Amino acid sequence: MTIAESIQNIDFLTAIRESALVYPCILSTHLTCIAIFGGMILVTDLRLLGLTYKGLTITDVVTTFRPWKRLGGLIMIVMGLLLAASEAEKYVPNPFFWTKMVILGLIGVHALIFRPIVYNQTEELDRSPVIPTKAKVAAILSLVLWTSMFTMGRLIAYWEPPVTPAPQTSIRQREAFGVRVALDANPARTLRTPPYGRLAPRR
Amino acid sequence: MLLQNAIADALNNTEWAFPLAECFHIGGFAVGLGSIAIVDFRMLNLGLRHETTGRILRYAEPWTLFALVFVIFSGIVLFLSQSDIYLANLVFPLKMYVLVAALIYNFTIHRKVATMENPPPALSKIVAIVSLLLWVAIVWGGIFIAFF
Repeated sequence: MTIAESIQNIDFLTAIRESALVYPCILSTHLTCIAIFGGMILVTDLRLLGLTYKGLTITDVVTTFRPWKRLGGLIMIVMGLLLAASEAEKYVPNPFFWTKMVILGLIGVHALIFRPIVYNQTEELDRSPVIPTKAKVAAILSLVLWTSMFTMGRLIAYWEPPVTPAPQTSIRQREAFGVRVALDANPARTLRTPPYGRLAPRR
Repeated sequence: MLLQNAIADALNNTEWAFPLAECFHIGGFAVGLGSIAIVDFRMLNLGLRHETTGRILRYAEPWTLFALVFVIFSGIVLFLSQSDIYLANLVFPLKMYVLVAALIYNFTIHRKVATMENPPPALSKIVAIVSLLLWVAIVWGGIFIAFF
């Protein structure tokens, strides 16, 4: 058994994958966090670029939403990891998944670099007559990173593993809730091959 | 019908067109919901306390509108690619009803209370919570379309 298989066979991860309701709920929570807190990150970036919200101070925009963005980011990452781990076998060979993880790492690097010189220096930015280049660079990089982040998330659903000829007769089985179930017993479930839903496998 | 078929063909025959439209849809609703959420968070007293809600709304609303146009257009494109499947879907009509409700709510009650000089705090909070719930429900609807 591969590592990916052993991960996704952990009881609660199997339960997530097999459940008709839990999986979409986790996915929706993930997307909700992207919408609200990702949206707040975009608002911050737009403010740092001086494109809008000019009447609000950078300090206000950056600091008052910080705890919410942190909370939202945490929920987003936990939900995302649950989704990935529950279908680890599909995610591990998926290049878009790993690209997304690299981007996530780069977002961490972005924070390490720009927090001390931009995000923790907002009062200085507010005093400066023009928005300094370093703040604009931070905002543009943040926009690029987050845009690629959700684009990769979407593309994960479209990648298909190279087809390996499998014996057609054997029905794959898995232990779930203590019972052996045939994986292909429910045709609706097999339609949900890509992690993002039935409408996704369109070819 | 002809237009619909042309768009559907273009979307179904180009491998990247559908995912690209989805990415526009996601990016658009992040901008839109973000701009609505900062107003709602202010109404809930969770951020930007130095500013009045009306002032925040004045900056946020153009972005909300811009994003809405973006999201609705990419949404129409996604819909037209497989309109028969969407029309037969259980969740899709619900999502549309909530969307209409959210749009009406956003530009009537929500805007009215957000621009009030001294709204009763309880009223502001309720209006903000309803607004967030409506928009979040639409996001959930989008995901659940794919599962039911």
